[in-house]
Amino acid sequence: MALLELNNIYKTYKIGTVEVHALQGLNAVIEKNEYVSIMGPSGSGKSTLMNVIGCLDTPTEGNYLLDGLTVHSNDPEKEKLDDNKLAEIRNQKIGFVFQTFNLLPRATALHNVELPLIYAGISKKARMEKAHSTLIKVGLGDRMHHKPNELSGGQRQRVAIARALVNNPSIILADEPTGNLDSKTSAEIMVFLDKLHSAGNTIILVTHEHNIAEHAHRIITLLDGKVSKDSKTEKGSRKQMIENN
Amino acid sequence: MGQLWESFIIAFKDVFANKTRSFLTMLGIIIGILSVSLMGTAISGINDTFENSMDMIGNDVLHLQKYPWFMKGGDWWDFRNRPEMKVEYVDKILQRSKNISFATPEMQNMRNVKYGDNSIQGVFIDAANWQLQHVNSLKFEDGRFFTKSEDRNASRVVVIGYGIKDNLFPNQNPIGEDIKIRGMKYKVIGVLKEQGKFLGLFSFDNMVIIPLKSAYSIFGRRRRMSITLKVREGVDIKTAKDEVTMIMRSLRGLKPSEKNNFEINQQEAFREQFSAIKMGISGAGFGITALALLVGGIGIMNIMFVSVKERTKEIGIRKALGAKQNVILFQFLSEAVIIAVIGGVIGLIITTSLVGLLNKFFVASLSIKLVIISLSVSIITGVLSGIVPARKAAKLDPIDAIRYE
Repeated sequence: MALLELNNIYKTYKIGTVEVHALQGLNAVIEKNEYVSIMGPSGSGKSTLMNVIGCLDTPTEGNYLLDGLTVHSNDPEKEKLDDNKLAEIRNQKIGFVFQTFNLLPRATALHNVELPLIYAGISKKARMEKAHSTLIKVGLGDRMHHKPNELSGGQRQRVAIARALVNNPSIILADEPTGNLDSKTSAEIMVFLDKLHSAGNTIILVTHEHNIAEHAHRIITLLDGKVSKDSKTEKGSRKQMIENN
Repeated sequence: MGQLWESFIIAFKDVFANKTRSFLTMLGIIIGILSVSLMGTAISGINDTFENSMDMIGNDVLHLQKYPWFMKGGDWWDFRNRPEMKVEYVDKILQRSKNISFATPEMQNMRNVKYGDNSIQGVFIDAANWQLQHVNSLKFEDGRFFTKSEDRNASRVVVIGYGIKDNLFPNQNPIGEDIKIRGMKYKVIGVLKEQGKFLGLFSFDNMVIIPLKSAYSIFGRRRRMSITLKVREGVDIKTAKDEVTMIMRSLRGLKPSEKNNFEINQQEAFREQFSAIKMGISGAGFGITALALLVGGIGIMNIMFVSVKERTKEIGIRKALGAKQNVILFQFLSEAVIIAVIGGVIGLIITTSLVGLLNKFFVASLSIKLVIISLSVSIITGVLSGIVPARKAAKLDPIDAIRYE
């Protein structure tokens, strides 16, 4: 079974009296341990898709299955998930990495990484252990008690990645993760994401930069709220070749 | 549960991260709690002291006098023309009454009292018979009351109040010493237990008691006298009052058509006056408290709205990471309650230091009950003023919130 299945997804916003059709019958299937980039010009529905996948928002119409769980369904028999249920899914299944890092400014790196575990209701001791080991994993073992403003951009994004990883999510959802970083740091972060993928994580990368998107094995291109192109990258083709052999 | 605790900790840190702001927000609550606890302490202090004083007057004691304690209308001249009380009435009432167990005439006057070089100006001298100790249920720190024979023989013996002992005999046992009242030597035979103050009124602490017969040479015979009667145990005070009224009317030879030309006063008269004072104080206290808490509560609500607005992005991040609505709600509600409770505690601390000041006028102390009431009021104020902003925070849309700059 696919990890993620989007079937004929529509999302319509109302801004004042104007209806904006952000997603218009989008279909996509993503398997476990895939590394997918989502591309597209602005207004193509990237952000909306990202919000839907990340369970920050629910589609207006369509079926969305995530890790065997029905997040949204056209079937009127199935009840709609409420705010709290969605929060629980985000907590358990999704690891967010944002362009602007979105760390709590007054909390230490350690506390930032601890947050998803707090909301998962994990005990203090287990939380500390996990947050510690995850920060060590992203190479910030010596920066645990620093606050975000005491860290460089790259370090901040690594804290954010540690936070995304800490609760063992089904998907890591990275929205322009290098958008606020210089090219050298960007490269570092991308190497890091590549490593996470090799370690077995499923990664969805939203970006508008081609060289970043090329890190993935597959690129889904959006246009007008629909998938306009879905293709393997060089890396993806190579990987498949190796697997086929 | 763990999550709520974490929310509480976060809220606690946030309160202290904005110390000045939190403190300013607390001011209304501080004043409100200060007012409620101070008024409560004052009222209970006044009440206790009043009850104490009432015990001194005795709730089973009737005061047979020329004038009423509190004149409600009536012509003062009518009262003034009434005949004076006489010592003879005492024995006659005791003979005829079934409901009176003890009775004493009382004469009071202010005189200077001296011991060696120490002297006190204007001490209340209470001259009575040996039954006064039973009428007023006197309790002794040391020594005894004068006996029937000392009374009959007009012995120069004196029982002194605790305050008198403190002033005249600071480091000395007064029993057996002679004090001088208007140049007359009196031997101290007893010291009364401390009775406490009620704005200096009705306390035996600053009185001395001497046998009535020995007082004539100091006061003269024509002093105004009253008669104090102890109602027999188990007898309804009203029954006793009616009986004494009948006895007095017959002693004075009043016709049925004539009005009483004497007054039987009792504690009740004080109670009526006192409850009016008490109502006044509690009314004012309640008003100030309610107003201060309302203003304080609005202050907290206002600052909580600011806090939610300021931390919109933080709320968005927390929700994205899986914080449920009730967790966010609890975090902001805790913040409001923490501000209110710290304000309440500060108010109580100030009250504690002011209670010392109250004690200059009467015995008062902050009771546990008042502390609990004050803290409960703080918590309720915090919840009421925090709930709307906290709900607003909990209901924020994570997408909008996380993008808020």
